[in-house]
Amino acid sequence: MSSSRLGRWILTVVLVVFGVVMLAPLVWLISESFTEETSAFYLPPSWIPRDFSAANFSAMAELIPFGRMAMNSIIVSVVATFGALLVSVMAAYAFSRLRFAFRDRIFALMLAALMVPMQMTIIPVFFLMRNLNLVDTLGSLILPALINVFAIFFFRQYFNSIPRELDEAATLDGAGHGWILFRMLVPLSSPAIAAMTILSFEATWNNYFGPLIFIRTEERMTLPLGLVTLQAGQSGSSVVVFAAITAVVVPALVVFLLFQRAFIASVATAGVRG
Amino acid sequence: MSAQTIATSQSRSKGPRSTSTRRRDTLAGFLFLGPAVLLFLTFVLGPFIVGIGLSLFRWDMLTPPEFIGLGNLVALASDPSFYSALRNTFVFSLASMITHLVAGFALAVGVNALRSTVASYFVRTSLFFPFVISWAAVALLWKYVLDPTFGMGTYYLELLGISPPNWFTDPTWALPAIIGIDWWHTVGFTFVIMLAGLQTVPGQLHEAARIDGANAWQRMWHVTIPMMSPTIFFASVITFIGAFQIFDPIQIITPSGGPDESTLSIVMYLYQQGFQAFQAGYASAVALVVFVIMALVTALQFWVSRKWVHNQ
Repeated sequence: MSSSRLGRWILTVVLVVFGVVMLAPLVWLISESFTEETSAFYLPPSWIPRDFSAANFSAMAELIPFGRMAMNSIIVSVVATFGALLVSVMAAYAFSRLRFAFRDRIFALMLAALMVPMQMTIIPVFFLMRNLNLVDTLGSLILPALINVFAIFFFRQYFNSIPRELDEAATLDGAGHGWILFRMLVPLSSPAIAAMTILSFEATWNNYFGPLIFIRTEERMTLPLGLVTLQAGQSGSSVVVFAAITAVVVPALVVFLLFQRAFIASVATAGVRG
Repeated sequence: MSAQTIATSQSRSKGPRSTSTRRRDTLAGFLFLGPAVLLFLTFVLGPFIVGIGLSLFRWDMLTPPEFIGLGNLVALASDPSFYSALRNTFVFSLASMITHLVAGFALAVGVNALRSTVASYFVRTSLFFPFVISWAAVALLWKYVLDPTFGMGTYYLELLGISPPNWFTDPTWALPAIIGIDWWHTVGFTFVIMLAGLQTVPGQLHEAARIDGANAWQRMWHVTIPMMSPTIFFASVITFIGAFQIFDPIQIITPSGGPDESTLSIVMYLYQQGFQAFQAGYASAVALVVFVIMALVTALQFWVSRKWVHNQ
């Protein structure tokens, strides 16, 4: 008994130390970004700012339009996430509840396209955007994100698990397809909706490849590309780049801590169900 | 899986229905599915077909395209940079898959055995949080952590008696460094999948094995791992496919593809050819090869899984 208690104690210590090591780079990042430039990056690393200053953040805001970039990130992520949710639940409803010609063939074709990586289509999509005059606009980031085949598949599975007798009862009461979908199935699918909202918000919020291809102007960049542009520009010192990374990471940390359960559940459900 | 779900949906539709219902369904189907089909054709299927077509042309995006048939594929077959990219991508994907699966599984088993809820919460949070951060922030941060003069990582490695190489300028160490950074970024994802999978292993099986005298190791090998095999399989497919498309950290940390092309990945090469050298046809041929390899690897993984994965 006591040896297994000792074992558990050792396990706890090892895992907690491991967790501390995982977080260490982030603590260092935040500490340095709040340090006066002249005393930053001394070794050994300091876990609290040696010489506290918020000046790096104002220096960063002068080099890149950080507020504008954050706003672009919010616009793109919110519009793309909700747009994709709307398109996906409607398609999933059609696949789950309606009968029409070629339905299952269209579904199979879409599923097969899950195999097609985004990079494979980026060159033709780039020309399409160029012809539509959408290069260097937020539209070029939003439009391709509206089709999410995995979400369609995921919602269809979820809708299939909801008894059809409910639809029939609603139909007898005079409900149309729109009512059945948006007033009944969608509310009944809230765990699936939450999981997909988080996953697609995260994917668009963190997207770097799309902006790298489509966006040229700083005023139209989202945060990930803005960060890299700041660093590559060499105009800001390392500590200013640190301030920018902190300004991106800390809000993400706060949102994550608030919704941690939902975040982890989204990965676990999509993983287990997918 | 797709065939099975389609079969169930077909068996659901029972009995004949009036033609007017059928007609109303067709109209509603058109309306509900319309946006998705339109977007799918515009941004997935259309570009996919155009991409295959483009791979048959030489096109610098300015002068009219010139049809060269399989010329791009022939050129690829003798392109040393393409082989570097292929080799690096396979090394990266295999290393990434193995390290993620082993560590993700071990951490999940460890955290599952923790009694203290505080410790468990802390470890779960610190493992998963890096996954939420964008690659751009992660890549830039780690470039500094591993900096040879003022990096935090360098300092602690030296404290442990290891004198680290100059990671991103050393052709031997640039790719391993990126493998490590990727591991830090996404191991929390594998961990969460594994932790969810562990909950599906029935407790009675462990109990029965314990009564039969199996020790902890034997229970791990003969109960936990076989029962977890669907999860392990899913995690291996997801990690491999994700790793095969590695691009962000490579482009951010080593914008030229690293010393001696040592970090050049296949998607990075596609990007260089398509958006820096403006060879749309050649880049499309690279994309086609990526697609074929990914399809083959996925098929192989499913074939292996049929022999190995335990399904009730």
